[in-house]
Formats: sequence, C-alpha cells, structure tokens
Amino acid sequence: MSFSSLDFYLATVVVIFGVDVLSAWGLNLQYGYAGIPNFSFIVFQAAGAYTAAILTLGPMTATSGQTYVAGTHVPFPVALLAAVAAGAALSAVIGVFAMKRMRADYQAAILLILALILNQFIVTDTSLFNGTSGLANVSRPLGSLVNPSTTGWQWAYAALVWAICAVVLFAVQRLSRSSWGRALRAQRDHDAAAAALGCNVVALKMQVFVIGGAIAGLSGGLLVFYLQAFNTASWGYEETLAIFVSILIGGVANNWGVILGTFLVQIVFVEVPNLLPQFGYIGLVDALEWVVIGLLWMAAIALRPQGVIPERRVRAERFGLPALRRALPAATAAAAPGQQGAHEERLGATGGASRR
Amino acid sequence: MSSVVVESIGFGIVDASIISIGAMGFSLQFGLTNVFNIAYGTVLTLGAFAAYLAEQWGVVGWYDVLIGAGVGVIATWLIGKGILATFARRNLGLFELITVSLAVELVVQYSVDAADGEQLFSYSFDQGRALRFLGMVFTVTEVEIIGVAVGAFVLLECLLRLTKTGKALRAVAEEPRLARACGIPTSRIVNVAWVLSGALAGVAGVVYIINSLTVSAFTGTDFLPLLLAAAILGRAGSVSGAVVASLAIGIATQLVAAVGGTGYSTIAGFGILVLVLLARPGGVTSGLALKTEVTL
Amino acid sequence: MLAPGDLRPLVEVCDLVVSYGAVRAVDGVTISVAPGEVLGIVGPNGAGKSSLLAAVGGQLRPTSGQIRLDGVDVTKLPPHRRARRGVVRTFQDTSEFGRLTVFENLLVAGLGMHGASLYAATVGARAQARRTATAAERAAELLARFELEPMRDTYAMELSGGQRRLVEVMRGLMREPKLMLLDEPTVGVAPHLSEQLRREYRRIAASGVAVLMIEHVLEVVEEVSDRVVVMDNGSVIAEGTYDQVMQSQAVREAYLG
Repeated sequence: MSFSSLDFYLATVVVIFGVDVLSAWGLNLQYGYAGIPNFSFIVFQAAGAYTAAILTLGPMTATSGQTYVAGTHVPFPVALLAAVAAGAALSAVIGVFAMKRMRADYQAAILLILALILNQFIVTDTSLFNGTSGLANVSRPLGSLVNPSTTGWQWAYAALVWAICAVVLFAVQRLSRSSWGRALRAQRDHDAAAAALGCNVVALKMQVFVIGGAIAGLSGGLLVFYLQAFNTASWGYEETLAIFVSILIGGVANNWGVILGTFLVQIVFVEVPNLLPQFGYIGLVDALEWVVIGLLWMAAIALRPQGVIPERRVRAERFGLPALRRALPAATAAAAPGQQGAHEERLGATGGASRR
Repeated sequence: MSSVVVESIGFGIVDASIISIGAMGFSLQFGLTNVFNIAYGTVLTLGAFAAYLAEQWGVVGWYDVLIGAGVGVIATWLIGKGILATFARRNLGLFELITVSLAVELVVQYSVDAADGEQLFSYSFDQGRALRFLGMVFTVTEVEIIGVAVGAFVLLECLLRLTKTGKALRAVAEEPRLARACGIPTSRIVNVAWVLSGALAGVAGVVYIINSLTVSAFTGTDFLPLLLAAAILGRAGSVSGAVVASLAIGIATQLVAAVGGTGYSTIAGFGILVLVLLARPGGVTSGLALKTEVTL
Repeated sequence: MLAPGDLRPLVEVCDLVVSYGAVRAVDGVTISVAPGEVLGIVGPNGAGKSSLLAAVGGQLRPTSGQIRLDGVDVTKLPPHRRARRGVVRTFQDTSEFGRLTVFENLLVAGLGMHGASLYAATVGARAQARRTATAAERAAELLARFELEPMRDTYAMELSGGQRRLVEVMRGLMREPKLMLLDEPTVGVAPHLSEQLRREYRRIAASGVAVLMIEHVLEVVEEVSDRVVVMDNGSVIAEGTYDQVMQSQAVREAYLG
C-alpha cells in the first residue's frame, strides 16, 4: 500500500469513526439514558443523509441519471442544519406513535418493523431517492477553501467532523448530567415510579427521541458529504445493531466509554478487515462480520447486559455534601447489620428485583 | 375498475393465506411464551431453503411442505429451547430477550448468506392452469395454497377447542400463573407450542417459495413485518384473530398495489403498522401489554 | 392530639368503579382520608385494594366515579400531574431506580427536579441550580433521619429489600406530600427495619400528611392505622376503628369464606 493511499484510507477511517461516534451518542441518549430500544435509529441517519444530498444536488435534470425529489442548491451549513431538522422531524412524527407507554419488547419490535418497512419502501418507490441505487455525485463541500480532490481536504473534513463531535459531546454530557438527564434515567429504571414522582414520562421520552434523531440526522449529513453517495443498502436494520453493540461494549449511559466501544466495533472490527487480503467471493467478509456482530451481541447480553464499562456513579459530593469516609465500621454496622442485610436481600429478591 | 378491485381481492386472499400460516404460528408462540421471537423470520427462510434443497435432490411437489415443517420444528426447537430458554434462565428482561432473538436472526441469516454466496435461488413449481371464481383468477397452485392455510387453521382450531392439550394451551396463553396453579404442566404445553409454531413457520416458508419461486437468505426477514403486524393486530395467542388480521392485511396491500402501483403496497403495510400501534399496546390496562412473565 | 376525621378530608373517593373488561375490580367504593390520618385498607387477595390505590395514584384510569384532592377533581389527571399536587406512593414491588445512587433517587424526587423543562434543566441553569441545592439539602436531612448516610452513593439495586422500601418512602418525603399511598409497605422488610418504617409512617401522619395504606399484616394495620376499611369483591364491607371492623360479621365471613 502506497503512502498516499494509506493517507487516504486513514483520513476516511477518522471521518467514519467520528460519524459513528456521533450516532452512538445519539442512540446512547435514547437507549442508554432513556431505555428506548430504538431499532430504527439508522432510518433517522438516512433521513439526514438524503436531505443533505437532495438539497445540494441541484434540481433533477434529464442528464443527472438519478431520480429524486426537491433538488436544490443550498450552502453546506444550511444543508447540514436541514439534515439535523429532518432527523428530528421524522423522530417527532414516529415518536407520536412509538413513544406511547408499552412493553419494551413491543416497542423494540415496532421500531424494528418500521426500519424494515421504510427500507422496503425506499427501494420500491424509486422516485423519492432513486431506489436501491441510492444517490451519488453529491459534491464535496467547502471546495473553495481546500481542493476537494486532495487528501488535504479529507483531513480538513475529518477535523470538522471531530470539532462537531466535541460540541455534541459537550451537549450530551451537559444534558445527561442535568436534572432532565436524571429524570430520564429514573424513568428508564422504573417508569411508573418516575411518573408518580412528577416526571412526565411520555414527554421526556419524546424529547430524547427527537434529540437523538437530530444527532442521527447530523451524522447522516456529515457522512453523505464525505462519501458523496448514499444508498438504501447502507441503512439496513443491521447497521443499528452494530451501533447497539458498540454501546453495549463501550458502556450503556457512558458517553466516553461509547467512544471506545465504537472504536473497537466499528473501526477495529468492521474497518480493519478491509485492509486484510480478501478471501472468498465479494461480500463474504461482510456477511461473516454480521455473523460475528450477532455473536458479540449475544455475548455482551449474556455477560453484562448493562454494558461492559458501567455507568458512572454520580457521587453526592457533586452536590456539596461532605465526602463519605470509606470503611467506617461503625457507620456501616449501624445501617446494615451483616446478617440482617443478607436476610433481607433474599426477601427483597422476590419482591423487588423483578425489573431488569 | 371494479374488476381490478375484485381481482386484487383474489391476489390478497393468496397473500393472506401465506401470511396467515406464519402469523398463526407466531401468535401461538408469542401468546404462550411471551417472548417476542424475531428469529421466527429465519425459520421461514430455513423452511424455504429446505424445500429448495429437497427439489435439487429430486423431492418435488407438496412433499416439500412436510420437509419444510420438519426443518421448521428443528430450527425453532434449537432457537427456543436451546438459546432463548438459556438466556431467559439468566433472569433477563423481555427487552434483552427480543434483542437476543434479533441477534440470532442476524447470525443465522448471514450464515446462510455466507454459505450460499449471496445468491437468489429459483425454485420451480408447476402453477397449473388458471381458474376463474367470482371474477377472481387463481392458479391451481394458488387454490392449493389457500387450501393449506385453511387446513392448518381448521386443524389448529380443532386442536385448541376439542383436545385436552389444546385447552391447556389456551389456558397457559391467557393466564400462565393460574394455569400452573391448576396443575397444568406449563413447560410441556409450551414445548407443544414451540413444535407447532416451528412447523407452521417451516410450512409458511415452503408455501412462500412455492408462490414466489425464489428464495434468498433474506426472504424470511423481508416477509417478517407483515407477519408480525398480522399476529399483533389479531391479538397474540389468538389463532382466528391472526387469520382475520392476515386477510385484512393481504387484501389491503393488494388493493393499494392495484390502485397506486406496487411501490405503494409497502405504504399500506406501513399504514397497518400505525393502525396496530393505535389499536394494540397503547392502553395501560390491556393485559398483554404489561404482562412481563416469560414461560419457556 | 387532633382527632383525625374532624378535619375536612384531603382526599375523597366517590363511588369509584374500576373494571377490566367484564370484571369490576373496584365496584362503587366511597372513602375519604383527612390530613394526619392513616386509613388502612385490608381484605382478601383480589378484593380490589391495589386497583383502588392505583386509581387514586393515577396509574389506572377509573371507569366511573370521582377522586377529589383538596376539593379539586383530579379523576382525569395523569399520575405526574397528581404528583405535582402532592400525591406520592410506594409500590407493591419496590420501585427504586436501580442504576441511580440512593442520593440520586432522592434528587429526582425533589421539587422541580422532574425534568419537565429541558430549557430549565440546561439553559436556565441558575434557577435550576438553586432548586438542586435545596433538594440536595433536603436529601441530606432525610438520609440522616433514616440513618442511610453510609449508603448514599450506593446503587439502589444493591440495597436490601428493606432499604429499598426506605428509599421509596424517603423519595416520597422529598416532595413534601399531602397524600401518601402505601402498597404493602412492610412486605419483604427485615424486622428491625419494619419497626423503623412503622414509626416513620406514624411520624409522617403526625406531620399532617394523609396516608392511605394497603397492608396484609394485621398487626401492622392495628399499630399504624387510625381507621380501617375492609374490602371484599371490589366493595367496602366494613369501616371503622381496627377493633370495630374486626368484630364485624361481614368481615369474619369474608375472611373465613
């Protein structure tokens, strides 16, 4: 592999890593913090990607060789914002139906079916986004600043993506540490109890569903401008599962851990095999990757359903209370005399430990 | 115009027959185990592939249905009793179980995909001559497919209403705790449900390939949304409900396809899904929506 | 001491009906609880006690009838709106937020901490910080009062059954409630914690909170309740002091079959 192609490849990996981390944060808000099993997450990423694409492709002409709706030329930042809005708007529409109070597995199934049906719909109705072929020839933005056909442009774009990542990380951390984020986690653990303490559970879920959808749209927009193309094959329901596995491995409700999980799953596991010599027919490696993603998933659920890296413990010191002195025998004994505690634990297991 | 409508009702009935065979099985399985088993879709795929392979080895015609049923039972047993039950014993919640079944779907689907070289396989089955009935057109094979669906429905209903096992099945689906308290051997009854649903999934796969004449690793997954919608709309655990819902879905999608073009039949599917959402799990008081006990 | 019942009732339940399909779980129940009073509800399994409590808490929508809180009709209000009017409850299976620490469990319950406004929680940081500080202070007081300080930073899922129950009650107290609903509040609690809990229930009532309690253990009912309602088949079959209802013929029949 020559230097320039390695350079090209590295820049691509850095961009894709950033986009995947963004999506993982979006889904982590929804699943990790709020417990929403959003198996159609990738649909919102696709919505962002298609929106950004058609807004910059220009009006459809006889020579454009692909069919799509509402083609215009708008500046890059506007198209990116529109991608965010598209993800959020689609989430709002779907959330009206899917965020009602229901069984978690029911909700998961419904969101999964939604992803399957929407994918089929885009495939069959070619007039919207060109069916299976998808959209191509999206031009690279900011061409007036850096020559788009150089690796310099790629690195500049990578820097932009990661700058956006930094902003989003700040936002999601701030959100998740606020009283809003705490209420989200509370309803995740016991929705009826959260409601009985004044949390409007449906509204909370709706808000986080839309925010996650906006982040998904953003990641889709960033991706399509880099790849210059986007098609339906890139957003099968499997892609959502890969993000889920990253979260399970990196840490449910742990935004830093999610970076590590995404690196392990999406980069080391999915991207690096592309560097290895190919074997079998084209597509065999991809198929085998999905098999292993499924196995990883089962292993993660079997070993640590709450994630390999646990949620960060929020200590009361953060709220101005004096630090706890560890291993203070008198205090521990006063609160939970050893044998009594064990006895209750058994009783408690029948009464209390039924949820998750 | 009206003849188009009548004709598409005919196509819809054929579709509904295929959907209903799968939906009856899923409904029975979900109603009894309370596990939302997404991997049901791959059992369909495996059933269809069994028929394809059987044909390659010279076993042709309706014998393939029996082979598909057998493969369906084995696959479902392995997935249900082998994998899902193992996970359920670890005290995982309903959500974790659906994700496990989804992972199983992914693993099996892409294993098949890897093994078969990502191809679409064609199956040949003599469709027979065209028959006309009340303005609708059916091939002989399509009539036979309807016959298989009706037969499966009648057999299941007889089993559920007339035999002791069937009555126990219904009791477990309604109130597992009560049934256990009444001395019904719940685990044995659930095993019966696994076998029956597996056989139905396998048959659905074979009937699908007989009708569409192609199969790929993704056949079952692509077919799954309609089947799940029918099972949920018809109320999980109710065989007749699944059949009625399948008819509604089959005819609705075909009518929309006839009026708006085939691309829009998925919109009809989408509309039905929204309907399901509005009709089924929303109510806080609906028993099924909040039942959390798993029986495996 | 004020004689409970002399006061205007805080919560009034009028002719309440809760049906599941053809079954009437609660069939025309009328009860009321005054501030500072503990009303115990007893009755055999399936008598409709939990459905009654859920209807008052807002977890179940009643089929007909009315629930008034402080004279205001709250029958159609969802649970979170009732909570903001001073109704709190515990659940039969304890309802701790397992992956939140004990301290966070309390913070969530703090007034104005329910995350209703995304704006207030993030952008309007100063007002929210004040509310958080107030809630943290109250949480610290409660931790001291219930002797749970050492467990402050423990995940609630790691607590014993009794400690979970304590957390539930403390969470309710965070909201400075007017009405506390308790669903079998001593089940699964070790004896020494049960004693502590029962003392607390009396203390809560003494501070002017109306308490509606379902309890199976008759000793607890006798010790904690000012007044007892006996339910069977969805209806109230006896009402009065503990000694009065235990002598009632209807109650003996219901319990002995």
